[in-house]
Amino acid sequence: MAVANVIGAQSSADQKAARQNGAIIALIGLLMLAFPFLGLAFQGLGFDWDIGDDDVDSMSLALGFVTLALGLNIVVGFAGLLDLGYAAFFAIGAYTYGVFTAYQIMPAWSSAWDIVAAVGLAEKVHRDGMDLVHFTLSFWLALPIAAGLTAVCGVVFGFPTLRLRGDYLAIVTLGFGEIVPIVFRNTPAVTNGAAGLNGVMAPQFFGHSFQVNPKPYYYVGLALVFLLIVISIRLRDSRIGRSWMAVREDETAAGAMGVDHVKSKLLAFAIGAAFAGMTGVFYVAKLQTATPDMFGFPVSVMILVMVVFGGMGSVWGVVAGAMALSMLQSWFLPSLTGWIHRGGEAVGNDWLQQVDLARSTELIFGLILVLTMLYRRDGLIPATRKQAALSFDAQNVQGVRRGGFDTVAAAKILATMPKRGGNLLEVRGVTVKFGGLTALNAVDITVPSGGVVAVIGPNGSGKSTLFNVITGLVPADSGSIKFDGGEILGLKPHEILERGIARTFQNIRLFANLPVLTNVLIGQHARLRTGVFGAILRMPGTAAEEKGALQRAIDIAALFGNRLTPRLNQTASALSYANRRRVEIARALATQPKILLLDEPTAGMNPAETLELAEQIKSLHGLGLTILIIEHKLDVVTQLADTVVVLDHGEKLTEGKPAEVRRNDDVLRAYLGRAATEAARAS
Amino acid sequence: MTAVDVYLQQAINGLSLGAMYSLLALGFTLVYGILELINFSHFNVFMVGSFIGLGMLELFGVMPNGAALTGFALVGVLLATFAVTMLGSGVLGVLIERVALRPLRNIRGPASMITTIGVSYVLFNVILLSVGADAKNFPSPLPSVSFAIGGAVLRLREILIWVISLGLMGGLTYFVQFTKMGKAMRATAQDPEAARMMGVEVDRVIITAFFLGSALAGAGGLMFGLYYNITSYVIGFQAGLRAFTAAVLGGIGNVPGAMLGGIIIGLIEAFASYGFTAFGEHWLGAKWADVIVFSILVLVLVFKPAGLLGRLAPNKS
Amino acid sequence: MLSRRSTLLAASAIAAVVGFSLPQAAHAADQVVKIGIDASLTGGDANEAELVKNGALMAIEEANAAHVVKGVKFEGYVLDDGTATAGQYDPAQAAINARKFVADKAVLGEVGPQMSGAAKAMIPIASWANLAMITESATNPAMTDPQNAAQYRPNGKPVFFRTVATDAYQGPNLANYFADTLKVKTLYVLDDSGAYGEGIADAFQAQAAKKGITLLGRDKLDPKAADYSAVLTKIKELNPDALFFGGVLQAGVKVVKQVYDILPHTMIKGGGDGLVGGEIFTAAGYPAAEGWYATQASPHVSDAANTKDFVAKYKAKFKMSPDDYTITAYDGTLVLIDSVKRVKEAGKPLTRENVRDMVATAKVPTLQGTVAFDENGDIQDKVISIFQAHDDKADTACKLEDASCQFKYIGVAPQS
Repeated sequence: MAVANVIGAQSSADQKAARQNGAIIALIGLLMLAFPFLGLAFQGLGFDWDIGDDDVDSMSLALGFVTLALGLNIVVGFAGLLDLGYAAFFAIGAYTYGVFTAYQIMPAWSSAWDIVAAVGLAEKVHRDGMDLVHFTLSFWLALPIAAGLTAVCGVVFGFPTLRLRGDYLAIVTLGFGEIVPIVFRNTPAVTNGAAGLNGVMAPQFFGHSFQVNPKPYYYVGLALVFLLIVISIRLRDSRIGRSWMAVREDETAAGAMGVDHVKSKLLAFAIGAAFAGMTGVFYVAKLQTATPDMFGFPVSVMILVMVVFGGMGSVWGVVAGAMALSMLQSWFLPSLTGWIHRGGEAVGNDWLQQVDLARSTELIFGLILVLTMLYRRDGLIPATRKQAALSFDAQNVQGVRRGGFDTVAAAKILATMPKRGGNLLEVRGVTVKFGGLTALNAVDITVPSGGVVAVIGPNGSGKSTLFNVITGLVPADSGSIKFDGGEILGLKPHEILERGIARTFQNIRLFANLPVLTNVLIGQHARLRTGVFGAILRMPGTAAEEKGALQRAIDIAALFGNRLTPRLNQTASALSYANRRRVEIARALATQPKILLLDEPTAGMNPAETLELAEQIKSLHGLGLTILIIEHKLDVVTQLADTVVVLDHGEKLTEGKPAEVRRNDDVLRAYLGRAATEAARAS
Repeated sequence: MTAVDVYLQQAINGLSLGAMYSLLALGFTLVYGILELINFSHFNVFMVGSFIGLGMLELFGVMPNGAALTGFALVGVLLATFAVTMLGSGVLGVLIERVALRPLRNIRGPASMITTIGVSYVLFNVILLSVGADAKNFPSPLPSVSFAIGGAVLRLREILIWVISLGLMGGLTYFVQFTKMGKAMRATAQDPEAARMMGVEVDRVIITAFFLGSALAGAGGLMFGLYYNITSYVIGFQAGLRAFTAAVLGGIGNVPGAMLGGIIIGLIEAFASYGFTAFGEHWLGAKWADVIVFSILVLVLVFKPAGLLGRLAPNKS
Repeated sequence: MLSRRSTLLAASAIAAVVGFSLPQAAHAADQVVKIGIDASLTGGDANEAELVKNGALMAIEEANAAHVVKGVKFEGYVLDDGTATAGQYDPAQAAINARKFVADKAVLGEVGPQMSGAAKAMIPIASWANLAMITESATNPAMTDPQNAAQYRPNGKPVFFRTVATDAYQGPNLANYFADTLKVKTLYVLDDSGAYGEGIADAFQAQAAKKGITLLGRDKLDPKAADYSAVLTKIKELNPDALFFGGVLQAGVKVVKQVYDILPHTMIKGGGDGLVGGEIFTAAGYPAAEGWYATQASPHVSDAANTKDFVAKYKAKFKMSPDDYTITAYDGTLVLIDSVKRVKEAGKPLTRENVRDMVATAKVPTLQGTVAFDENGDIQDKVISIFQAHDDKADTACKLEDASCQFKYIGVAPQS
């Protein structure tokens, strides 16, 4: 029907755009492949233009910066971890290759080295009457080794620090970035100290040394860039990439949706570090020199400028940003300086002839950074496109649905559970204290399997704290919480979600800058299996899983009728308040919960919307989902709940059927105060 | 010199370094306390401050290797130089806030911090391109008076630094604790929304914080010049990073913490550079000073992010 | 060149803003031979870099004016290996520059670099291209040591030549002077953690030990740090007769300044050629600089009778006074030009390899005398000159920033 058509039309437009983009990218790729020989083509066409070796050389240097920027983009752009010491990993990679090929680091030879020499990793050299070991690590072997080593360094360094909040993390990484070169400088036995490593071996390819011919370096650089672009894009569009973005957007919500934020950040840090490590090998092989001073804070800042200028989180943006700024440095500014000098000669102005813009490179970088942040925060090529407002047709692709979910569809999507006897969730004597304040005091709540329990109480009575302690966001001082027979108190939020507890938040915590579809996809995180290598290799199994997840996300959104389906590609922040609530519920449903914790789901909705949502919750209940709900609107509570629990000042006031609770004196007093209660009774 | 003299001398050196770090740390702490922003441009406001001071002294006719001033002339020149330097750097700080940071105030994420890195780079390179890369001889109007304490030497410039730092820090403490604007600052640091509702003009508070922080950084820069008799465009980064470490160590956002942190970092730097001898070997030494300072930074942030004195606990979620 | 760049930029949509410049159809009759000139024009050594760069450019200009080589027009191709953030030479930038020289087929030789740290990064790259480099002031001995052939001559023949002596003479000869003439008995050595500073300090220290001077301690300084008082206080405690600082001016000016503040003014203080620069007088100034010894790894020729004309012309042209390394740079350029000439005269093609071979066998009369190299590329006549800074208030013609007159010539250092 119409739905399929409009969505189809939308996706065919998308496909057309994607085809166009693909064609542009393929064209640029071809040009890059042919670049060193373009001069011949120009001359063939009769132009007196040449692409000299110096241009190829500059370009391969630019490619090195592109790979660095791609790596930092994973850390800063995807995962949102501001790393100001990124050059440290670059340094570690560079020294990995440098130390194992340079002539400065040569231990004494002993027969034990014969084995190493036999596999071609070392040779015997004779100096000062001594036999020494000269390492001859192959460039091609060094690339993966450096990647692995820097990834390990990333994990070791990241493990204690990644729990820090954003700005502290920035400073810690800055400190780390400063320490690494100093340690290199101060440990001359391993690194040859301040003098650094010179005469690092040029790579060899089937016995032919690259020497100083820029073309092979260029093609190695191009291959690295291609590889890292593919890895970046595949990771971005996978379960892994979504988990990074979730953590970037809202760490708490990501945890509650099943993302282990420590693991996710470490992964980003390690992969970003590995990119830098590989680039380090490439860079040092090209320059044939490594000194501690080559890897300081300015390098980290320059890469950051490239990422910011290109567009944080945008793979093509970062490639373009790094390219543009490298070319600015190596071609544009010198050329512009030349033109100014020529102009100065023409008008006879001495000052103009003295201008040297190349010396202002860093000033220009600084200005670019500031201006980008002020006027184009999303960079050259933003990661997310602005969505046009929906047309009337698009808004109404699906018929307006009143009342509950289409239970047939919903049953298919939700892994429903048969009603069982017994209790699904048992909260026993849970106490939570914040400093001197007792937010929850020995609270007991039991949610039977398949039941709906509502929690009510005045503001500050501890309702949200109850949800937080169940979902692991807040630690309990004492008590026990059993879910499905197992203790969950003390588990991490993502572990609790994996057991089958999903929640929404009182103040809506969506991943605001991500599309609706991605939000719902992130909900499935804990139910998918794709790992880093799966995502990069994208084997058939992975692709099938991803396809299934996508379909499920679309189906879940479709439960809400035309509310969400037309808006799947809009960012969550662009939605209306009520729709954001719906997305949050859809996201929670995507986690395949056994119990759904809804924190004031109808807050801010008008009566019609409230009614609609209440019906929908009812139909979820009808499918066997257990629900714990915090709600202020008593008519909703009455309509939905089997049992109502009343909290006041962190204590359970009473518990019972909705009708009983409504008549309870204590409840009235808690809500309305004593005088009003008397008045209510009197009337 | 006996060993005691050496330690005394290192303590004197460390306290002087610490006084400068404290002044610079206060700027980080004031801005962080209110905006939760790590202001990297502060590094180079310090550096610019030392050049403003240099210009002022030359304007007063104080030249390198010239005769030292005494009496009223000395006090007058110093006061005027400090006043202009602090005013100049303060205005620079306010300009940075107005032009580069205010438009980003309500943007979530690291946008503001990244912007301050850019501003810092711009200041750095503007000074480099305008005055050149070579170090500049910084004229000193101070007579070379010194006192011997055993084998250690206490010079007039050290006393001057201590006195001026103490005065400025005392003044700042008074301002924050007792004036209306100071109270407004503390209120904003606690909860900007509530402060706004209680009638605090948050914009003015922020501008005041930038002005005061930058003015103190400028004073620090001038002291750097007077102390080392040298300045150059590169002095901001190392001093700034150490001062930031000091602010973190004391508990960022905490005014007395910044002062305490500065002194501790100064002393640590002095003693670590000196090193110690044990088991027949000399350990640490100047080349490890940076590693030690930055390791403290990392360790404090990881294990005790509230620092020694803790924050005034603004609890923004 | 230019038009091609414009095209590339247009492709990147930047040129659209800037506009195009039309292709130049300049086909000069002469073959253009470029001489690469690499110096640390940004940072703490900028003044000296300017001097040597101008020295090399002057030699090129004179050669063109006199048509020394028929059918060849020389061009200087100046690159800066200093960066703002390094504050001095930056090895990475030096390596990038080396690749730029190598990639430009018209570059047949290089003058420079100034600094050993930069040279170490450039030589391996130049070697693969057989590009002859003649340095005017990079004095670290490692680069010409045949033991290091594997990293500095990967392509076989030496490509690195010097018109100065090395630190293997500079450091030890000053140590001889300290021991023999100044009667130094105890010593403390500092260096600035740089390739040059470390090397010369090691060489000085080794020779001092041979001469029976007791070493009381050795420390490395961070050239970017502001405060060396902790180390200097330690030195004060040990109270050696003499202090040697190996390093360049970025750390040097701060050392000179703080040494004056903390150490007894009677202590003997010295350093290598890294201290010889205007900045020591403009930034550290008198009285701090008073009495510091320094060396130059060349004969002191900028005052000599045979250089009067050169000095006068240079001053007139560039409005600054040349120092000894200006002359060694000028001499090095003369050697390159002479080598190109001899390649032409021998009827061989003008290739880098042929130029290099001619440099290796050069015997060129220059301002400092006849320059010839040994089989490793070192100059055959190795002379170390000693200077001492002295504030001669009577000499009003000598400007403060002019290191070549503020450092007073003492004599040739004793060879061991």
